[in-house]
Amino acid sequence: MQRALFPALFAAGVTFLLTCLVIGVRLEQEGPTLTVVGADASTWGWIAFAVVVVFLFQLFQGPISRLKQRIPSADATGLLPGEQMRNRLKPWLFSLIIVGLFVWPFMVSRGAVDLATLTLIYVMLGLGLNIVVGFAGLLDLGYVAFYAVGAYTYALLSEYFGLSFWACLPIAGLLAATFGCILGFPVLRLRGDYLAIVTLGFGEIIRILLNNWTSVTGGPNGIGGIDKPSLFGLEFSRRASEGSQTFHEFFGIDYDSSHKVIFLYLVAVLLVLLTIYVINRVQRMPIGRAWEALREDDIACRSLGLNPTVIKLSAFTMGASFAGFAGCFFAARQGFISPESFTFIESAIILAIVVLGGMGSQFGVILAAIAMTILPELAREFQEYRMLMFGGVMVLMMLWRPQGLLPMKRPHLELKTS
Amino acid sequence: MTKKATFGKTLVAAGTLMAAITAAHADTLKIGIAGPVTGPVAQYGDMQKIGAMMAIDKINEAGGVNGMTLEGVIYDDACDPKQAVAVANRIVNDDIRHVIGHLCSSSTEPASDIYEEEGVMMITAASTSPSITEKGYELIFRTIGLDSLQGTLAADYIKDKIKPQRLAVIHDKQQYGEGLATTVKEILGDAGIESVMFEGVTPGDKDFSALIAKLKRNNIDFVYYGGYHPELGLILRQSREKGFDAAFMGPEGVVNSDLAAIAGDAMEGVLATAPKSFDQSPENAALVEAFKERNEDPSGPFVFPAYSAIQVMTEAMDATGKTDPFELAEHLRANRFDTTIGEIGFDAKGDLTEPTFEIYTLHADGSKTPVSK
Amino acid sequence: MTETSLYVLQQLINGLTIGSTYALIAIGYTMVYGIIGMINFAHGEVYMIGTYTAFITIIGLLTMGVGSLPIILLLALMTAVIISSTYGYAIERVAYRPLRGGPRLIPLITAIGMSIFLQNYIRLAQGSRDLAMPALISGGIEFGDPAVFEVSISWMQLIIWVVTFISMTALALFISRSRLGRACRACAQDRGMTNLLGIDTNRIIALTFIIGAALAAVAGLLLGLYYGTINPYIGFMAGLKAFTAAVLGGIGSIPGAMLGGLILGVTEALTAAFFPSEYKDVVAFSLLVLILLFRPTGLLGKPEVEKV
Repeated sequence: MQRALFPALFAAGVTFLLTCLVIGVRLEQEGPTLTVVGADASTWGWIAFAVVVVFLFQLFQGPISRLKQRIPSADATGLLPGEQMRNRLKPWLFSLIIVGLFVWPFMVSRGAVDLATLTLIYVMLGLGLNIVVGFAGLLDLGYVAFYAVGAYTYALLSEYFGLSFWACLPIAGLLAATFGCILGFPVLRLRGDYLAIVTLGFGEIIRILLNNWTSVTGGPNGIGGIDKPSLFGLEFSRRASEGSQTFHEFFGIDYDSSHKVIFLYLVAVLLVLLTIYVINRVQRMPIGRAWEALREDDIACRSLGLNPTVIKLSAFTMGASFAGFAGCFFAARQGFISPESFTFIESAIILAIVVLGGMGSQFGVILAAIAMTILPELAREFQEYRMLMFGGVMVLMMLWRPQGLLPMKRPHLELKTS
Repeated sequence: MTKKATFGKTLVAAGTLMAAITAAHADTLKIGIAGPVTGPVAQYGDMQKIGAMMAIDKINEAGGVNGMTLEGVIYDDACDPKQAVAVANRIVNDDIRHVIGHLCSSSTEPASDIYEEEGVMMITAASTSPSITEKGYELIFRTIGLDSLQGTLAADYIKDKIKPQRLAVIHDKQQYGEGLATTVKEILGDAGIESVMFEGVTPGDKDFSALIAKLKRNNIDFVYYGGYHPELGLILRQSREKGFDAAFMGPEGVVNSDLAAIAGDAMEGVLATAPKSFDQSPENAALVEAFKERNEDPSGPFVFPAYSAIQVMTEAMDATGKTDPFELAEHLRANRFDTTIGEIGFDAKGDLTEPTFEIYTLHADGSKTPVSK
Repeated sequence: MTETSLYVLQQLINGLTIGSTYALIAIGYTMVYGIIGMINFAHGEVYMIGTYTAFITIIGLLTMGVGSLPIILLLALMTAVIISSTYGYAIERVAYRPLRGGPRLIPLITAIGMSIFLQNYIRLAQGSRDLAMPALISGGIEFGDPAVFEVSISWMQLIIWVVTFISMTALALFISRSRLGRACRACAQDRGMTNLLGIDTNRIIALTFIIGAALAAVAGLLLGLYYGTINPYIGFMAGLKAFTAAVLGGIGSIPGAMLGGLILGVTEALTAAFFPSEYKDVVAFSLLVLILLFRPTGLLGKPEVEKV
């Protein structure tokens, strides 16, 4: 205990320094003059409380951790069915989830469906970035640029040429992929963190250009009135625009605005399923293997005759094309886009989804995307403390599971020595 | 046959039950207040919130509307367009049919699409972008003047009174600022006063020394700034330091006591278009007291427009005896209302029929005096 | 001198001032990167907290009636440095140390989380409004023909140059001459080996965070005095620019951070001088991309040795 006294005092001192000036004193602006005001007694009470808690925690850290060890950790592995059983259950489970995904929106409120749609956009983005960061090991901090390209492609094409969502979707993906290819080509010889900052720079450049090119992109005004997707030409609005029919008229049912929300959601589900399917396939193809090989060992790859530039470029391009799809869908869901939706913090959140999910693991990325979008919504009740908690939880989650929620597992065989 | 009958009965029963539940709740009417609670512009969201909340409390004190008490429900969109859509959907979901908000034009625009589609009435007290009401919405209104009106007013004043030799128009590359700056530049250009410089600055930037050196080099004698107070304050402060002494003019976004704090003495004599300062008008004295009692600051530009938004909404409810947004909208367009921002009416697009802006000279102590025309 | 050359001179002076402060903040990025190879995204927030503490101290002393400017500045500097260093230390201890030895991307995410957390922590404690204080040091020198173009240098700009120069020299001496500095260099070269030689690498890493934070606090005080305004969001942009400067100069290299900062500052000022200023960030980032294309490890960075 005595040995713990000094670190405990030190920790308490640090806590005091961290809080005393920043929380204990407040700057107040009254007209043109700035004054300082001491915080009220209760705030100082909280500071004192925090200092004491930190002190006591550090002082008794030894006994606490010993106590923690004595509590038997719950062993949940016994509850799971055996390996064979699990493999047999897997397809059933998957089909159950997929059926659930399609049935679920008809049973819940439209707010929940809309939130789920947003989540699915992030799932798509996370899966796309996962190719670049998780599989190929290239740190991309400007992923949002391709997302913006996708969104603006649809917005501009529908505004100037009246193209529909379904026509724009592949164009958006292709264009984003082209951008990825053009941007990727010169920078891919950079390593690690240099690549990170250059991609970050590209992200910012694209955003600023979109913001400054007012004559085409509307600059900061953004582009509004973007059409929602239609179902084989059937629109989901109260009144049909000229020359087309609405969904409810065609089927002779009453107009219900939630049809539109649910339809958007279903489109998102389809896109996500498609993304998952494609990535799963590609991952098992030679190029997918090459990505991972390159991530693990650059030099070994080269000596085996693989061309690192082409491999990296293919990962970059493919990741970008999924961002393009997601962007196109985002523009359709919003109906209005402006450059402020494509800031660096968006890239950071997508990256956080990939890392939190456990890089390379698709299921983990999906879980993390759900966590990262639902969390701020759940925290709505905390009003102004919302973002504080978001930041704090991000740190805590990484500390709690540094390997990610569900780290990637390679299929492997184990020799049983009995 | 019997099956159908049972089904019908169940439906009727369920309907009655639903009606009973709704009736039980009919004594409160929820009004959504959507705007930023978090994020960099949270302080403006606060202005809208205190204005609307005060109006709700006052109306409840006076017995409510049609026997219902009002309840303000706050939604945070953080001025992020993506969250604004989520908030709008949530509001629809929560069965709220009347909304005050949103604040930033970039959030209001995507959200108003949803409200119009879902039959929710929205009155914004802060979004001044002309494009919001241009689509001819039925249910979207605002109790604040448009950017274009403000720009026209400023441009007319510049060309009639100032007659600058070398004019610069600077803006902050945001919807609000650039829109205003473009209006001013175009009107003055038509009148034969060309802008020597027209360029943007980065919002949040701190260093404008390069820009000021450029203004100095071009011998600018008058600067119109489209944007908010933090950047203009720094431009003024750094201009004073570098010995650049042109006259400045800005929109209502710069009229804020914080501008005086940032710019210091350099603020003296800056011109600005601003809504009439409603907290100064004698009719609102009692209300200003009420705000002060709650330790709230009534001087923000959106406080009284938000108050009035609630006022016109409830007056229409009183007059029609209904809460249906479509009927309220009809009533709003057809009548004139006496509010804390003066007597107002709405045009077909949902905008105020009369501009509420005036030109002021700002002073170093944070006060402002109207310019005699 | 001609009008254009005077104008360019004025813009160079402006650029060097911004560049100096970028350099001061960039040191924090570059030192941390040099030693543990991670990007400390929360560093910009440490700078922001430094500015806040400097403001609080200055205003506090002024309200208490302390009139002497040198005393106020000295005390403000000390408080800002102490508090910021504590934050630098605490961030490392809480968010990065437990993750050491794991994959390098993990601390990057905690850093982003920490950055969001600190920004909102200060916003809740101090409000989100822009706060401003009157200029304590004003005036300056002017030269050049007033009829052609007058170049002005404010005292504050001079102070920024001098303080930056002193801090950088002191840091360079510390790193190259002192025992601890040598330990820092050893740690950057081979952490495992340094550990084996009986140097507590955890303490050295903590030290680099403290030094970086202290220099960020110096920048915070200087910029707080120069611009006179603060809000909780200033850290992000400043951090991004400083990080760019560090990479431009070659991340991990201290003279590189200095050089990168100055180049970035001057580029921005000159861009704003001859093009619409809304394009200055585009030009700054494009310059970064170009330099990295031709020198993939930055201007003064050492090429990485490829290890199999």
